[in-house]
Amino acid sequence: MSLTADSMRCGEFRTTYKADTTIFPTPRSRNFAIAGLIVLLFAPHVLDTYYTNLLIQIGYYGIAALGLNILVGFSGQISLGHSAFFGFGAFASAWISNNFGVPVILAIPLAGLMTTAVGMIVGIPAARIKGLYLAIATLAAQFILEDFFNRADWFSGGSAGSVAQPLNLFGFVFATDKSYFYVVLFFMVVMYLAGSNLLRSRDGRAFVAVRDHYLSAEIMGINLTKYRILAFGVSSFYAGIGGALFGHYLGFVSAEGFTILLSIQFLAMIIIGGLGSVMGTLLGTVFIVLLPEVMEALMTTLGSQLPGLERGVSYLKEMAIGLAIVLFLIFEPDGLAHRWKQIKAYWKLYPFSY
Amino acid sequence: MSYRTAIAAASAVAFGLVSLAAQAAAEIPVGHLATYTGPTSDVGQPYGKGIEDAIEYINRNGGIDGRKIRRETVDYAYQTPRAIATYKGWVSRLKPVAILGWGTADTEALVRFVAQDQIPFISASYSGHLTDPTGKSPHIQTGAPYNFFYGPTYTDSCRALVNWAKQDWESKGGSGKPKFVHMGDNHPYPNAPKEGCAAYAKEIGFQVLPPIVFSLMPGDFKAQCLSLKQAGANYAYLANTAGSNISLLKSCETVGTDVQFLSNVWGFDQESAPAAGKAGDGVVFPGSVPLWNEDVPGMRIVREVSTVSDPAGTQERTLHYVRGICSVFLLRDAMEAAAKEGEITGPAIKAALEQMRDHVPGGLEGVCLPHTFTPENHIGTTSVVGYRSHWNDGKPTLENLGTVELPRRDDWLGW
Repeated sequence: MSLTADSMRCGEFRTTYKADTTIFPTPRSRNFAIAGLIVLLFAPHVLDTYYTNLLIQIGYYGIAALGLNILVGFSGQISLGHSAFFGFGAFASAWISNNFGVPVILAIPLAGLMTTAVGMIVGIPAARIKGLYLAIATLAAQFILEDFFNRADWFSGGSAGSVAQPLNLFGFVFATDKSYFYVVLFFMVVMYLAGSNLLRSRDGRAFVAVRDHYLSAEIMGINLTKYRILAFGVSSFYAGIGGALFGHYLGFVSAEGFTILLSIQFLAMIIIGGLGSVMGTLLGTVFIVLLPEVMEALMTTLGSQLPGLERGVSYLKEMAIGLAIVLFLIFEPDGLAHRWKQIKAYWKLYPFSY
Repeated sequence: MSYRTAIAAASAVAFGLVSLAAQAAAEIPVGHLATYTGPTSDVGQPYGKGIEDAIEYINRNGGIDGRKIRRETVDYAYQTPRAIATYKGWVSRLKPVAILGWGTADTEALVRFVAQDQIPFISASYSGHLTDPTGKSPHIQTGAPYNFFYGPTYTDSCRALVNWAKQDWESKGGSGKPKFVHMGDNHPYPNAPKEGCAAYAKEIGFQVLPPIVFSLMPGDFKAQCLSLKQAGANYAYLANTAGSNISLLKSCETVGTDVQFLSNVWGFDQESAPAAGKAGDGVVFPGSVPLWNEDVPGMRIVREVSTVSDPAGTQERTLHYVRGICSVFLLRDAMEAAAKEGEITGPAIKAALEQMRDHVPGGLEGVCLPHTFTPENHIGTTSVVGYRSHWNDGKPTLENLGTVELPRRDDWLGW
């Protein structure tokens, strides 16, 4: 029996650099991704609104989280102001579509570009400072932008917020969760493919080089300032797109939603998912979005079983979320992406995992 | 009649009976957006409790036209995005015929949504922006046809206080123009009466100082009190809720300001007086319901409602709790009127509310103020009851200053 591509493989053997840098590591993982996408296409018709809403949340948060992972996981910088960029995208998209008659479908990428510009300005200090100092510099950006949202009546409607029109394409209004799911899915696929692809490119390799050893990278001829600021730009673009999708989904944008808490939540998503992993970003987002819901369901069942506990359920829920995150970080510091790899390895090597 | 038609007829009758029974038993879905946590939870808790108890009381006493109210309460922690997400969830699942809401930011954000979905929204925000159903007012962007609330607007309450301040200034023999200042967070709720009230204060002879910003979250506000002192204000209107206002009063006591404090309807109450201590002495604030120990006919039902969550009946409730009951009973009367006309739907409830002329919710005579809503004007009442807090060396009391009747001016609609 001769070996063909169809026979059971005992490993992945790449003989060219090209084969080593495909978007999907193996043909099987590509097929799984395509199959998953097809399943998702039917999801809103099978699931009820509650679950569709959760999927949409995973979508727009996932896009923004991938942006943060490019900044933190790939280029080795840090940002505590990601939710401000997310908010800026939401306000910008509403502002563009409300004031200039630009259709929402164009306003979303335009808002992404505007956020890129803001992100690159905010990223300028990154040319000079690193680590904790950079974290504080981005924290300042978070507060400056938050205050801007509260005061710039012409842009954000001030403290009263602004209305975001629903997406309208050739007369079809994407106002329901069912239809908006496809909008988010489209952007999600495009942005994730672009993200994975970026990391195969010259610029993506430069990010990784800057992260791993900036001095060596500089000696190799990589312009540190350019790539550090570019990473902020790319990261903000993702945040802006995610935010714009969020704004048009909710139909209303208000400054209160974009606090430091959300920035930290974004960080939690990528740390739990796995720094420097596209797949991990998605897993981390799913984890952070679903955890409160799962805890809510668990605690409600527990509350109905143990009378007298109903009142404490909401507190228990918050505590349980905190506990789950702490336990997770202790037992799985490399994130969900690492765990996923181990599960795959287990099945691949079964039954001879030595 | 053949055997087959007999069966068909019988099953049709049976089906009809079953569906009638189902209809009679069907509950009326009502959403309740509460804030039991977050910056305004200090007053959100008693108000929300009032709503929950009142609905339970109605359900225990026969419901509405034989149907019970199915209340779904969500604590949105005073975060507008969460309120909107909750609302969207309700529209697709609960399909409420009415919503009992809370804050100004979220209520104003939801104005277009509830108008589109035709769901009457009874808010605890008394923002003047919610009172113009047709959108003719130059002070608002869109009309709010499905928004209603119990009591006078924030701006009217503030105008009444300014009226009182004017008399106070004259009775004390003050000379020259008294100075008035608005103090509050940069947030839709404290901002709601800011311009309208300042314009009126100017109109009746006040000098209006630039507003001073202080957070809705209680904190150390000595800096704000120093600016207040420096500006030389005579009357300061506190637009935040009780917790934040108390911190400000305490800070200003330390700084030593000589200002007569006025407060918003959510800014002071029976529970704030002991908490504020001596700093709260003399604060004047508006209300739209009587105090717990006042002897008016409607208080009997209010006390019965209170026993829903306090079976012993010993708890003294704040003004906010009673206002919650008035809001629910206003909605109950509209639902009953709608049921008489046909079905209880959003548009029918709106129509019933808009037919109310000097309407006092049944059974609550003397407690709730008479309300009038029309399709062009959702200012229910312009009567403002004034209260003044007295410290009395540790035995705080509230004095009823009487009722101010404001005119219904066309240029005040939606402001």
